[in-house]
Amino acid sequence: MSEKKIMLEARNVDVFYGEFQAIKNIDMKINEKSVTAFIGPSGCGKSTFLRVLNRMNDYVEGFALRGEIEIDGEKIYRKSVKVEELRKKVGMVFQKPNPFPKSIYENVAFGLKIQGITDKAFIEERVINSLKQVALWDEVKDQLKKSALALSGGQQQRLCIARTLAVEPSVILMDEPTSALDPISTSKIEELLQDLKKKYTIVIVTHNMQQAARVSDDTAFFYMGELIEFDKTDKIFTNPSMEKTESYITGRFG
Amino acid sequence: MINVATKNRIKDKLFEYWGVISTLIGVVLLVVFMTDIFMEGISRIDATFFTNSPSGLKPETSGIFPALLGTLWILILTASISIPLGVGAGIYLEEYSEKNWVSSLLEINISNLAGVPSIIYGLLGLEVFVRIMGLGKSVVAGALTLSLLVLPIVIVATREAIKSVPNSIKQAAYGLGATKWQTIWTQVLPSSIGGILTGVILALSRAIGETAPLIVVGAAAYIYDAPDGLLSEYTVIPMQIYTWMPDAREAMKVNAAAGIIVLLMITLVMNGFAVYLRNRWQKKVKW
Amino acid sequence: MTQLETTLKALKSSTVEMITMAKIQLQKSKEAFLNKDQDLADEIFISEKHLNNFELRIDRDCENIFALHNPVASDLRLVIAILKVISDIERIGDHAEGIASYIMEMDKKFEKDLFEQLRFTKMYDIALQMLEMLEDAFDREDLGLARKIFKLDKSLNEIKLAAPDVITAYLRNDSEATKQALFLFSTIRKLERVGDLCKNIAEQLIFYAEAKVVKHRSEK
Repeated sequence: MSEKKIMLEARNVDVFYGEFQAIKNIDMKINEKSVTAFIGPSGCGKSTFLRVLNRMNDYVEGFALRGEIEIDGEKIYRKSVKVEELRKKVGMVFQKPNPFPKSIYENVAFGLKIQGITDKAFIEERVINSLKQVALWDEVKDQLKKSALALSGGQQQRLCIARTLAVEPSVILMDEPTSALDPISTSKIEELLQDLKKKYTIVIVTHNMQQAARVSDDTAFFYMGELIEFDKTDKIFTNPSMEKTESYITGRFG
Repeated sequence: MINVATKNRIKDKLFEYWGVISTLIGVVLLVVFMTDIFMEGISRIDATFFTNSPSGLKPETSGIFPALLGTLWILILTASISIPLGVGAGIYLEEYSEKNWVSSLLEINISNLAGVPSIIYGLLGLEVFVRIMGLGKSVVAGALTLSLLVLPIVIVATREAIKSVPNSIKQAAYGLGATKWQTIWTQVLPSSIGGILTGVILALSRAIGETAPLIVVGAAAYIYDAPDGLLSEYTVIPMQIYTWMPDAREAMKVNAAAGIIVLLMITLVMNGFAVYLRNRWQKKVKW
Repeated sequence: MTQLETTLKALKSSTVEMITMAKIQLQKSKEAFLNKDQDLADEIFISEKHLNNFELRIDRDCENIFALHNPVASDLRLVIAILKVISDIERIGDHAEGIASYIMEMDKKFEKDLFEQLRFTKMYDIALQMLEMLEDAFDREDLGLARKIFKLDKSLNEIKLAAPDVITAYLRNDSEATKQALFLFSTIRKLERVGDLCKNIAEQLIFYAEAKVVKHRSEK
């Protein structure tokens, strides 16, 4: 079996919001082309840590990071790093579907257009390709000019995923992507993840432990800003090493 | 014995009646006023009213041509000055400036400025534009003065419109690698343009009705030609009405009434347009 | 306590109760066998049905827990362990019933002498002791106690291994006792099987509590 290379690495990472320390000394290595789930009770820091990976926390007052985050061999918290470039490699899907109030086509094309790409044929190909990857193409191919806001919640979220795929990232970060969706849309997106992981490295924050168990290869359990346990998902859910992990996943707290 | 439930229902009905009556009083007064004006001035409204210059000697042929064009010049100049400045300031304050006590102070002050009596702006304009900058009693000085008046309204309208764009949209844009300016230009502005325009039009329709500041900065009482350049003298419709009113001659009274009708029509059209825009915008952008 | 915790506690209690039931069956079978007590044998036959129903009931409870609660980690291991354990307990009950049925076929009481040479009663006592230890170990999740059961099983195996030679020697002197001997030997084999089953149950307990699969390791 070939060794997967490490796509994401965190070393001694601390995160502060002003005086408050939100993340304490995290070390983590994430393999390429896999799905990693971040679980933990509310306020444990899993969303904060996710956002650290594409520097979305830069906009928060008082944010400071110590330690090193490396993505695909590149340290991302150097002054020389252009945040816009980083986000082409590391895409993000949010909890509540947030398509732009534009047409379906324009939504998916947005990421390409802001890079200055004007080749219409190229853009069109990427749009079609992305919509196909999220299994939305057949549903919308005749209505590309229609407003994205007219789609259902599940479709909107798949559109948001397609929008992210259009710029061909290496990593996709997902912050509770299905918590606002109905069960059928949720399961469609979970199936989508199994396909996507063949090409992309996916990190997904989820409140739903069954979801984490279903979709991920590896699971990280966060608690009060610390990484308590990080291991293969089947190990975490059948025989975790740490008692806190066991308490959390068996529902004894949180 | 009247119980509590019945008492409440009576209170409800009383309040409803009071509301209706209050509204009616306002509407009735307005209708009475407008009917009165219409009846007085409608006879003068024909093509010549719009194309003739005012004439002290021949009141029957007096027209509002110079005033009409003056109003147009003022409108366009004021818009050209206040829209870029106001929208730019609004974007800066909402998107770029740091949210600290300085910006809060600024925000309060700008809101207050919108309520300052317009004559104060007139006095300011007189000192700065007419005297210090030496622009004299020109149409550009008038426009600059009115821009000051209108600016706070445009800034506030811009900020409100931008604020109403949900943060999630901006996050999505940043997440895809857009810069701050790209996000504003491609997502925030297009979504808020309706709100901004509505605010701008309302501000401008207020501006064209302002007389006091323009008097102070030198709008002419008696002028017979339309403005021919930025520095030329000018008059505006309210000014013209103001000039005609004290004249005891019957024909002049009719002219004044006709002038009021024209001004009302313009105001109505502008406000109507603003409402139409707002409705269209709200339909398009349903968060 | 969460609902799941309460349910699991009840499940464990039921399992321990089932072990006790099987122990009583085995106890009765010993007495019935030694005294050729037909009435006692009948009791055993009736109780066997209860034991089987008990297994079905616990099985269904386990199924419900899987479907409704989605247990993970140690909760999951407990339910899996119990599913396996109840099947083994039921088989212990079967063996007790089997022994009881021999009583019908026996024509007279057994020779005391042969009993003693085979260490028959000792074997029974060891088996019963193992079941008692299981009750306790399961209830208190006492792994030390569970491990002691392995040692006892060794003793049972030893007695069974010695049996054929003892019987052969005995029959040389008294050929009339052949039928008896056959029954005795079958019973001894059954008791040895009971010992194995107790050992399995102990292993499941250790698996649940320590997630170590000791089945194929020699450390016993």
